[in-house]
Amino acid sequence: MNAAVTHPHTETFLPEIPPNRKKRRKGSYYSRLEEPLKAGLVSEYSTHIPSIAEISKFRNSLKQNICVEILLEGFHRTFSELFYLLNSDRDRRESAEPGTDLARQTPLEEQKDKLETMRRHLSRAEQAERTRSWTVVCEQRLFLGRYFSSQEDLWLRLHFCHSCADREYGGRSRSATEARVHLAEHYLQTGELEQAQQQAEICIQQAEGGDWLDSDGQPLKLRGAKALWRIYLKIADPLLDAEEYRKALALLHIGYDEVLKTEDKQLEAEAAYGLGLTNQRAGDHKRAKQFFNTCMQIYSTLEDAEGLVKSYMAMAKSLQSEGNIDETVQWLEKSADVSLSSGQQHRLVDAYLRLGKIYNERSQSTRAYEFFLQGYEVACDVGDVSLLDQIQVRCSSMIVTALFQIFSVNFGPFVSQVIVGTLRAHRLMEKYSADIRSATPTALQRLLTWKDTRQPQDFSADDSDSAMD
Amino acid sequence: MEVTPGACGITSKIYPLALPRGTEKFCELCQGPATLQCTKCRVTFYCDAEHQQADWAGIHERICPLLIPIRTQSLCSLTKADQIHVELKKVELMGICMSVAQSKLSERKYEEALPAAQFCLRCSMDVHSPSANHLIPAYLLLAEANFGVSNLALVTELLSQAEWAVLKSPECGHEIYQRLHRSLGRLQVATGNLDAALLNFANDIYHASEAYGLDSTVACRGHFLMADVFAKQGKTAIACSMFSEVAGTWHTHLTKHIETHIQNVQPSFDKSQHTEVDETLRTVLEFWQNEDRKNSGQIALVAHCLAMLWFLGGDSQKALGFGNVALQASQLIPNHDLTEPIQTLLQLVQNPQREQHPGCN
Repeated sequence: MNAAVTHPHTETFLPEIPPNRKKRRKGSYYSRLEEPLKAGLVSEYSTHIPSIAEISKFRNSLKQNICVEILLEGFHRTFSELFYLLNSDRDRRESAEPGTDLARQTPLEEQKDKLETMRRHLSRAEQAERTRSWTVVCEQRLFLGRYFSSQEDLWLRLHFCHSCADREYGGRSRSATEARVHLAEHYLQTGELEQAQQQAEICIQQAEGGDWLDSDGQPLKLRGAKALWRIYLKIADPLLDAEEYRKALALLHIGYDEVLKTEDKQLEAEAAYGLGLTNQRAGDHKRAKQFFNTCMQIYSTLEDAEGLVKSYMAMAKSLQSEGNIDETVQWLEKSADVSLSSGQQHRLVDAYLRLGKIYNERSQSTRAYEFFLQGYEVACDVGDVSLLDQIQVRCSSMIVTALFQIFSVNFGPFVSQVIVGTLRAHRLMEKYSADIRSATPTALQRLLTWKDTRQPQDFSADDSDSAMD
Repeated sequence: MEVTPGACGITSKIYPLALPRGTEKFCELCQGPATLQCTKCRVTFYCDAEHQQADWAGIHERICPLLIPIRTQSLCSLTKADQIHVELKKVELMGICMSVAQSKLSERKYEEALPAAQFCLRCSMDVHSPSANHLIPAYLLLAEANFGVSNLALVTELLSQAEWAVLKSPECGHEIYQRLHRSLGRLQVATGNLDAALLNFANDIYHASEAYGLDSTVACRGHFLMADVFAKQGKTAIACSMFSEVAGTWHTHLTKHIETHIQNVQPSFDKSQHTEVDETLRTVLEFWQNEDRKNSGQIALVAHCLAMLWFLGGDSQKALGFGNVALQASQLIPNHDLTEPIQTLLQLVQNPQREQHPGCN
């Protein structure tokens, strides 16, 4: 009824109705309404009748869905590996002490991105394995090894790098070699030096012939040599502590030879510096100086101010140990100049302090004072408490021990001030010490007046400064 | 017992007038009107001698006396304690039936497994409510038995029942899911619905790995079934890869068994699996032998598995046969690492006395 009534109205209100439609269905207000409705419903139903697989996506866990999808594609090895990894992740977290970071980690099986990435690349690797394209297998595994870079995923990185490097087939490919560098660097970080050394050595051996670049475009050979050098340094450390200098030096020389082969100047300088320091510790200052010289030459061609200062200081130390104080002072002054011009405040302070110390030992307290003061001021500028502490440590030998001990308990920066203050006092005393030594009546008279008129302020910084001027 | 020589139990005719009024008896197997009665327990009835004999061979021989206290309960007034006692008896009975059915199934005696499985289901329905998820194992068992006698329509129905029960209680363990998916998968293979079968087998493998571990024989069987479907679909590359995985897993298992066998003398191998493993490995062997490119390594591996299996099963003739196949295949490959273990095994088979000395070459 209603429809019949409204029908003529709609006819007039509607702007333009195509005539052919009107012909096709006469007066079918309802049918016109229903048509699109029906069509929409039907199309939605017909295209969206969910399959069993789709339903199970909602019903089942992410882990199950991914595993089943992988199996349906026929990648059973991918399934086994992923399943194994997910289970070991669970075991890791369960065996962790409650409250630790590990126990609080997000389970791997809830991180869809990671699961999908693993699935994609492991499937590709398995596909390649079937066609025996071993390099592709290694590339995919290396990709996964590089993909897992965060701290909590390090174990996965390790797993994939190992699975790439330790393959029977393809284990000598570029990717496998790069995986070894990653492993070497990882083990170096974790302190498993034996493993690290092994990986780095194999890596260098495999990279020998080719001009392989790693995924960041760095030559693999160089990266391997760098890692190996650092590993050798770490291994040499305890040897040096145990005073087994020969062993340590033999090891480092092997590393140095590898470094020389890479023809990378920066690394060569680093290695030469390290060898110099080792020789220095072993007491062979002559050879140490040779290495420092090499080092300086390279750094000056590279215009590396930091490296230069570093090697100047090391050189100065060797010279000082040999008792060649004049040259020591020269090198120290040189390094102070360079650090000043290149803005290396820390090194500058160090140089000043050493100079001050040398002058102090030579009883030239005026000069010593100048250097200490300069060092102190630079340190204050930097505002680095640890530097100020260093000043305190450096100066400790020359300070009245008792005074130092009283103050050094808690007041690091403050003690530094005290030290400087003491130095100023020394300067002040110098004026009168001549009088004491001369022991003439006039001198005695002068001392007495000073004794009567002197006030605490005389020892304060401002006064002593003016006294100096 | 004196009536039939095959020890099929003794029956007598039912005299309806001797029974209380209004009680009608039905056949234990087909639920039709009964004419015979077991004279031993007097509480079990059959429509004809054939059903009686089938039931006797299947389960009745084992449970005949146990049925008496359960089925006579309505005659005496029961106390609460008695009821509990009867319930416990039923649960015990259910367990017996299930284990009997399972062992018959693993021996591939499907006909004989049917009565046991059926009784098991009836018992479970009686003990638990008809909709409880405790019925799922019984459904699956009966479905499997029916699958063996190719009664696919009934299998479909039973599996739908099981699936429905699982849907209602999604918390049931991985073991149940695994069995359900495997049965469904096998049904779908039989009905030619290969894609659906793959989906079920994939789930089967997932649940088997969760329940028993990745390298378990259950998961391995799942891989085999799936590989078989892939082979049927013509996806040879996948099938090859999966079959070699199956063979590898079994090889590891059997080698371990052989080692313990040599050390302990006593057989340590689970006999119930024997038929299934044999079938699995034979299919794999056939697959490799029918391949265009003969993969001698795989043939040697699978034949070696079969030889070990039959050696453990005590059939030296078959062990020898498969051992020789393995040896021939392995000798086609220079320096194959299987040649030596195969020869060792062949020596073991030929000189069974020497097997007591471990480590002999």
